Amino acid sequence: MTDTIIKNATWAISGEKYDLSLTTCEDGKHPQLDGITLTGVERCEPAGKLPVPQGAQVIDAAGKLLLPALFDMHAKVEISGRSKRESVNRTGQAATNGGVWAMLVMPNRGFCFDSAPNLDSFRDAVEQRSSAEMYAAGCITLGMGGEQQAPYNTLAARGVRILSDAEHVPANLLTLHRVMKYVAELDMVLAIRGDVPELTRNTYMHPGATSYRLGLHGTPACAEEIGIETLLRLAADAGARIHIQTVSTAEGVDIIRRAKAAGQKVTAEVALHHLLFTHEDVGNYNTNYKVLPPLRERRDCEALIAGVKDGTIDCIVSDHTPCIPFAKKQDFITAPHGMAVLDHFLPALYTHLVKPSLLTWAELVRACSTAPCGIVKPVDEYDEPRVAPLMLFDPSACGTVQAAQLACGTQNSPFIGGELCGSVILPLQ
Amino acid sequence: MGCIGAKEIESAISAWVERIAAEGAERLAVIGLMSHGDLLAKRLVAGLKERGIDALYGAIDISLYRDDLDMRAEKLPLRSSYLPFSTDGLHVILVDDVLYTGRTIRAALNALFEYGRPARVELQTLAYREGREVPICADYTCFHLEPEAGKEVQVRLHEVDGEDKIEF
Amino acid sequence: MKPRKDLITIGSLSDEEINTILDSATAMKDIFTKSVKKVPALKGKSVLTLFYEPSTRTRSSFEVAAHRLSADVTTFTVGTSSVVKGESVHDTIDTLMSMKMDYIIVRHKNSGIPDVIARHCKAAVINAGDGAHAHPSQAFLDAFTIREKYGTVAGKRVVIIGDILHSRVARSTSTILQRLGAQVAYMGPGPLVPLQAHTGIPRFTNWDEVFDWKPDVIYLLRVQNERIDTPFFPAGDYHQAFGVTEERLKIIDDLDLGIMHPGPVNRGVELCDAAMEYRNCLVCNQVENGIAARMSILYHLTPQTQNND
Repeated sequence: MTDTIIKNATWAISGEKYDLSLTTCEDGKHPQLDGITLTGVERCEPAGKLPVPQGAQVIDAAGKLLLPALFDMHAKVEISGRSKRESVNRTGQAATNGGVWAMLVMPNRGFCFDSAPNLDSFRDAVEQRSSAEMYAAGCITLGMGGEQQAPYNTLAARGVRILSDAEHVPANLLTLHRVMKYVAELDMVLAIRGDVPELTRNTYMHPGATSYRLGLHGTPACAEEIGIETLLRLAADAGARIHIQTVSTAEGVDIIRRAKAAGQKVTAEVALHHLLFTHEDVGNYNTNYKVLPPLRERRDCEALIAGVKDGTIDCIVSDHTPCIPFAKKQDFITAPHGMAVLDHFLPALYTHLVKPSLLTWAELVRACSTAPCGIVKPVDEYDEPRVAPLMLFDPSACGTVQAAQLACGTQNSPFIGGELCGSVILPLQ
Repeated sequence: MGCIGAKEIESAISAWVERIAAEGAERLAVIGLMSHGDLLAKRLVAGLKERGIDALYGAIDISLYRDDLDMRAEKLPLRSSYLPFSTDGLHVILVDDVLYTGRTIRAALNALFEYGRPARVELQTLAYREGREVPICADYTCFHLEPEAGKEVQVRLHEVDGEDKIEF
Repeated sequence: MKPRKDLITIGSLSDEEINTILDSATAMKDIFTKSVKKVPALKGKSVLTLFYEPSTRTRSSFEVAAHRLSADVTTFTVGTSSVVKGESVHDTIDTLMSMKMDYIIVRHKNSGIPDVIARHCKAAVINAGDGAHAHPSQAFLDAFTIREKYGTVAGKRVVIIGDILHSRVARSTSTILQRLGAQVAYMGPGPLVPLQAHTGIPRFTNWDEVFDWKPDVIYLLRVQNERIDTPFFPAGDYHQAFGVTEERLKIIDDLDLGIMHPGPVNRGVELCDAAMEYRNCLVCNQVENGIAARMSILYHLTPQTQNND
């Protein structure tokens, strides 16, 4: 039965070494480590304790880390000008390269999950073309227009558990309040970011010395914070579960920390780039650093990392947004928001957060794999919960990122030209 | 390498002044080309004054008239021309340090004629070197130089360079 | 001066470049006194003015400057139609490149557009004002005017008054004056003056503080309600609070301060009528010097349209 043995793999969370035997049997019982199911594994023993049967294929994993693959609960798939299938194919490949086994796909212009046919055609494309699992977040409003509610019952019947209009926030509080009541009733989660559109219209980056120098109007942090407060109050009133997307400010973390302490049903995420970069990285109108909400200050990055460590921020997401080169070559004001980071998601997390000891592997696995999976609760066609597969990560493989290596289909990655460490082996077999 | 010293230059300029004085032209203006020609022009005007001859002094920067602006990697810094009079009807002596290809003089003539219509223009230079590329020749030169091929002619004047010297 | 293709911001220039362009502007101004007010420096070159925002003054100043250098000037009328149609700047650049332009003078409401154009074409690009970002030719003419009046810019104290937040003039002019050794301060309505932490420039809120600071020049910015989407100014009292009133003009006269303004002046808003007649009002000098400064800028830039094109 057993034909593959992995020897000397280091369990990332504890640092201890194990030998594993893999199985192709899907519904068998799997061993656990630190409460994490070792999907696809038949036996797991401390290194040297597992007998190697004759004829077995042995993979020497000395120096490599074993961990569950990541779940990214905020990504966009659409590459403008490419077919749906190609978009799904490329993004799936990029995710696999970056150590991501599954993701929650935000609605987008071409992937507008506001009706059953739209969802079905997306699922077909994913089934046929994607190397990674993709789950759709249903639209809050039709066409993400912020006015007419989407058909929530239809979406729920197709397995949609999370509603989001991606970066769009319905401006009308009454609409939001009603949406939250539906969400509570259907046991869904509303994923939304904090914003006050009146305060952020015609603004392009964080207000500071860089925005002054570039003559770009600043997006005040308080707009996001007021937005988060408003969402929390509405959700508390409606009894809805909400998930605050892409928190970018220190005070935003504090607001969520207080709400959690008060017992509110809220989860939150931070985008990887908000942990790594600041508004100064915009430099001389570098459109690859134009994101929404904008990159903030170093103290915000630090507060966000602290929020991840103490669990206030549940997940780190990629906020992967492919933008074709032409779009990003436009001027900063016209260029679209977003970075394409899936290709290097785990190497970047490792190089910039784990390696400098800002996060532990245990915190990374929680924020990037178990917690998001627990919020999205993905299921298979028999309604059985899906569990993350395992992957091996080689932290010693370092190199300069070349644009040509990207599978995501666009080049708006902040990592091109920089050094990153780590390569991903996923799937294991 | 050839060299002409301060003494020789001083006597050459005296002879130059004599020659202008001998011509006895009326309504004289001595206009030098920046930079160096203007210094020579100043010396000539001073020398003429000692002989009781009044001549107007002018200096022009011809950078904006050059025909090689496009070919130069670096743009020359501009200087203000000094020509506080109309050249209408004047007898102008255009003065430069070295006449070589003649292109500078062509540009200078264009520049000069935008300040008026002189009665007559002469070209007088301190040195002359073979190698003209346009049909322009000097009415008077002090030194005829024959430097080795590829060698530059360098004129140094004490007002700006601390000494009078021609190297070639 | 090393060859430079574009002029986008003052910040990107070296001290040597700033000084060379200013020095040459003096020589350019001499040309205005000749009977033939023209030199052949840019003979056969084509200059294009590409203004996405209406401006008569800056555009004609550049056009006069280009004419005096003997360049051929083309005015590219950006019909509101093509903007509405969503023609991207890149499409426009392609069109311009096939017209073989040597110099492109561009103004746009979006900060950063001239930079995009400059990076994608061989022509020399001059920023004639982009959003709230930069207006380098204005900075040169301002510095030139101060130098002409006072002999030097170094050590002078200049207060820039008005809507700093939306002003590209404030940004570029303060940068060049600081680079030349002057001290700059800002004064204006609170929401319109960015924090000193962001600008590095002292921030005053009223005229008393301005006079206490002992400035040499008072530089008033134009109130541009057309560029502001929501009202920033308290209704009606701008002149009393921030303008040069007749009362303040007396103090300015006593202290012998210079008055500057990028134009066009809103009389009775930034400046009272009498201020325009004031002996140290340098507004007209600024306009005249604008041509000389722009000639110098055109002369010192080197398009890469010469070779292999």
